[in-house]
Amino acid sequence: MALSRRDFLKSTAAASAASAIGMSVPSSLQAKADEAQSGWRWDKAACRFCGTGCGIMMATKEGKIVAVKGDPAAPVNRGLNCIKGYFNAKIMYGADRLKTPLLRVNDKGEFDKKGKFAPVSWKRAFDEMEIHIKKALKASGPEGVGVFASGQYTVMEGYAALKMMKGGLRSNAFDPNARHCMASAVVGFYQTFGIDEPSGCYDDIELTDTVVAWGSNMAEMHPILWSRVTDRKLSDPERVKVINISTYRHRTSDLADMEIIFTPNTDLALWNYIAREIVYRDDTEKIIDWDFVNKHIVFAASPVNIGYGMRREGEKSLVDGKYTPLEMETIQKEMSKVVSATEAPALKPYGYKEGDVMKNEVPLVDGKPEVLKHWEISFEEYKKFLEPYTLDYVASISKGNPDEDMEEFKKKLQTLANLYIEKGRKVVSFWTMGMNQHTRGTWVNTLSYNVHFLLNKQAKPGDGAFSLTGQPSACGTAREVGTFCHRLPADMMVANPQHREITEKAWKIPATTLNPVGNQHIMKIHRDIEDGVIKFAWVNVCNPYQDTASAKHWIKAAREMDNFIVTSDGYPGISAKVSDLILPSAMIYEKWGAYGNAERRTQHWRQQVLPVGDAMSDTWQWVELSKRFKIKDVWGEYTLRNGLKLPSVIEEAKKMGYTEDTTLFDILFANERAKSYKLDANDPIQKGYDNSEGYGDSRNVKGSDGEVFKGYGFFVQKYLFEEYADFGRGHAHDLADFDTYHKVRGLKWPVVDGKETQWRFNVQYDPYAAKAVKAAGTNNSHAFYGTLAKALVQGDLMGVKDPTPKPLPNKAKIFARPYMDPPEMPDKEYPVWLATGRVLEHWHSGTMTMRVPELYRAVPEALCYMHPEDAKKYDVKQGELCWVESRRGKVKARVETRGRNRPSRGLVFVPWFDEKVFINKVCLDATCPQSGQTDFKKCAVKIYKA
Amino acid sequence: MKRIIKLSMGLLLASSIVLAEATPTIEEEALGLRKTNLYDEDNATKGDGTQYGDAMAGTSQKIERAFQDAPPMIPHSIEGMLPITINNNMCKGCHMPDVAPALKATPIPDSHFTDFRPKHTYDGKEFKKAIDEMKNEVSIEKKKELIGARFNCSQCHAPQSKNEAPKNNFTPEFTTPDGANKSSWNGSKLTEGLDTLAD
Repeated sequence: MALSRRDFLKSTAAASAASAIGMSVPSSLQAKADEAQSGWRWDKAACRFCGTGCGIMMATKEGKIVAVKGDPAAPVNRGLNCIKGYFNAKIMYGADRLKTPLLRVNDKGEFDKKGKFAPVSWKRAFDEMEIHIKKALKASGPEGVGVFASGQYTVMEGYAALKMMKGGLRSNAFDPNARHCMASAVVGFYQTFGIDEPSGCYDDIELTDTVVAWGSNMAEMHPILWSRVTDRKLSDPERVKVINISTYRHRTSDLADMEIIFTPNTDLALWNYIAREIVYRDDTEKIIDWDFVNKHIVFAASPVNIGYGMRREGEKSLVDGKYTPLEMETIQKEMSKVVSATEAPALKPYGYKEGDVMKNEVPLVDGKPEVLKHWEISFEEYKKFLEPYTLDYVASISKGNPDEDMEEFKKKLQTLANLYIEKGRKVVSFWTMGMNQHTRGTWVNTLSYNVHFLLNKQAKPGDGAFSLTGQPSACGTAREVGTFCHRLPADMMVANPQHREITEKAWKIPATTLNPVGNQHIMKIHRDIEDGVIKFAWVNVCNPYQDTASAKHWIKAAREMDNFIVTSDGYPGISAKVSDLILPSAMIYEKWGAYGNAERRTQHWRQQVLPVGDAMSDTWQWVELSKRFKIKDVWGEYTLRNGLKLPSVIEEAKKMGYTEDTTLFDILFANERAKSYKLDANDPIQKGYDNSEGYGDSRNVKGSDGEVFKGYGFFVQKYLFEEYADFGRGHAHDLADFDTYHKVRGLKWPVVDGKETQWRFNVQYDPYAAKAVKAAGTNNSHAFYGTLAKALVQGDLMGVKDPTPKPLPNKAKIFARPYMDPPEMPDKEYPVWLATGRVLEHWHSGTMTMRVPELYRAVPEALCYMHPEDAKKYDVKQGELCWVESRRGKVKARVETRGRNRPSRGLVFVPWFDEKVFINKVCLDATCPQSGQTDFKKCAVKIYKA
Repeated sequence: MKRIIKLSMGLLLASSIVLAEATPTIEEEALGLRKTNLYDEDNATKGDGTQYGDAMAGTSQKIERAFQDAPPMIPHSIEGMLPITINNNMCKGCHMPDVAPALKATPIPDSHFTDFRPKHTYDGKEFKKAIDEMKNEVSIEKKKELIGARFNCSQCHAPQSKNEAPKNNFTPEFTTPDGANKSSWNGSKLTEGLDTLAD
């Protein structure tokens, strides 16, 4: 617990500092302050909420958080937080914190899917989990055991879960809510750079002249970054331009010099319009930096008939009639669609015309559509592809405000293009969910880099296309640790045999243990539960039953199918309610942890307080679960759905010195290396801080064996971090050592020779780029050294012409990707676009922030924001309830026509944080077929009086 | 017959219940914030409603801060005061320290006139950091103008609806006598506790 001596010394230091500065402090006040604060312990931590990754200072007293302030030493936020950031102080103290496991039982106390919840011991909870996992493995093999993972896991939790799922249970049905949040950005990075995560950093904001927000309400979703943008704007209002490009007006428009309201999905056309201006005016105006392009870039194309990531013909739940005819109206577009008048010009270079039937049947590889396929094309082909994106065409399909004058709108588009093009003007393009939650999300992500590459305005101080991240550790955990179905740590893939081998060796598990088939992304997990394939699913640090589109299907499947759903959480959200077993999780400052933010900054914190009740961390839950499985339970032979056999590795395991009865706990978590990380009360990092996993704690929680949990006896969090970090060290993902992160306010990886990296791929700032250029013997300014998909076959827009792969070392790609309609658009029956998203005061599904009175009272309900004329048209009134209804479902919400979000006619916005306005029942689960990320920004609804 | 006792979570968890014959159970609807059937919307389910105070600025009762130096919430109606734009920040009209006392408004505190952001430079050739971040250095500069980073008042300060909020057990501790009403975050307090490994 708190060290009073240390705090005493600190308060003395503060007092002497005050006197040194010469502040006048009345003596009575001084005495009282000293008395009160003498019991306070300040420590640094990372904010729980968005991907900005602010640093906070947190005060504790007698085992409770008492205050939070912005950390003046944190480079991200320098002494300032947003409203959610300050209220980190209260998020763990909601009165209905889960304090004990709860199991659905009958009146005999036996598990009963139709039963009500009763408190049970941790031992009983793990007994049930063990039974149901074994049952699922027997029924469906590793594909039958799923985990809804998270971009809010700490790095250590994510790594523990990954190791147990992939290394222990051999299941890749493990995918995070981050799939809903930035999967399109990831595939965009992979396809463009060959490696994940942004080239720039937040210092770009102070260095740039132009900030363009694309489908990103930064003012509410990344408020501290927006405060930096605002500061920059105010510092030089004439020079600095801020542009907001969005489908509806919101707070980011308030400080913008220009606002462009576009029709949903036409951001594809806007990017291609800018690129067309650059390319077609280049002959006369010399706009393209040809030296940069020739040295660093190739052009590429890919198929367009890739569908919309919805369910496909023949899938069990479609055959079983679980989807209504109304729902099928949209779903049938997954198989084929008629080319519309709006998309026909853009698809002309691909040989389509209006009225053609496009069959969505890209080539199958291993029985699934090979949607990631792409090939190199010539610049001339790219130029041909851009031809349709004239000002007239783009303006005609993209003007999103019916009340705006067309000529005014065209002028705005020209201004936008000219700002990008202007020589000597630095430009940063920011985006988040608008471009990621998109049925062509991967495409539109790659289009952003096109523009920056052509102008040589990428990966330079103050210049770059910069994908912002939604969640606090979508980068640090989900992406870097690799808690996705297809990934392993440090950008490695389960499909790659060398990557599996590296991982198996590092984990000291037999060769061929890892399952090479990783296709159960988060929508697939839901669909596999509905199809009856997944029989056991565990929800970790997320709320998939509130946050997934077409929600009615998934909550029904959870409650009515033969399966066992477990939710670990701090509070009972919707996922907990539809579960069979609820586990009380330690929340963020009740455990040691680390997050990685959107600028590649890794930040650690120490356990500040003990968890409430019998709550234990997710790391502990995974490690305890591993005690329940022996090699003989999990490492036998399995046949996967696609016919592939996972061989038995039991004999191999024996050769490694394990026996059939060795537990996964011994192999994965309590091994020799783990035990080498010592608990040490004199270590300056550990001194004075609890470690509930390491030592147990004064609550004497009865653990998974029914006995009081006394701790693992080693520094499990440090072990997990260091073992994980080894995967990336020397591979352009270098992290510093555990202790360093406790001494500094985070570092941006790759951290090489103790130094962080500001601009990746730039020879001047990134040692890996410098090394690559030296090895290649060139004097290039950049090296895009990522290795994924870095040999391309050759072709034109229509397809591959020469199947010989040509390597493209150190090069990035510019993609030809056309405008296409989304699968569901407003029509006569459902005449209004629905976009969903967040509000500043609430985080995601509101499980934490709705329990902080100040945040709850700031926004106590999700409103349906709409244009006053639409309210009149649909006969609904400000402040009164309306129905928002799609082909999938309906909810009631109160009408807001004067609020912070001010849509044009034809679009409504409803946030999704409110359990009582369960908007995901209305949304469509169409995804980007390349990234698997759901488009929560577009579906068609009708509005009427409730 | 099955005996079902509905209990609030707090009550249930406070008592130490062992799974036994007459196990007290909790209905799904008793959990969480939505207390109605989750699978159907044709019922009483609706948002909690929003009722911000309508007191005019200058006439309302201050809302106590949630903890020492927490951002205060807005006690008055903000109708017509938003949006905040570059040329029109209505909050400043009443809350700038030179006018606030006369208008009975909470004056914007010192911290908002303190620039914490070091000015890194880039001359087109070389990027230079103004301070050493590896040493956790801070940059603190007093300014006469409201700091640009704090221009978006609504990023930290929000009006409060009259709804009864879900219960929260956080207990603040104020270290200055007027801590519930006034910021004390200035002077040496700005850097207090920053050396987190100091002994």
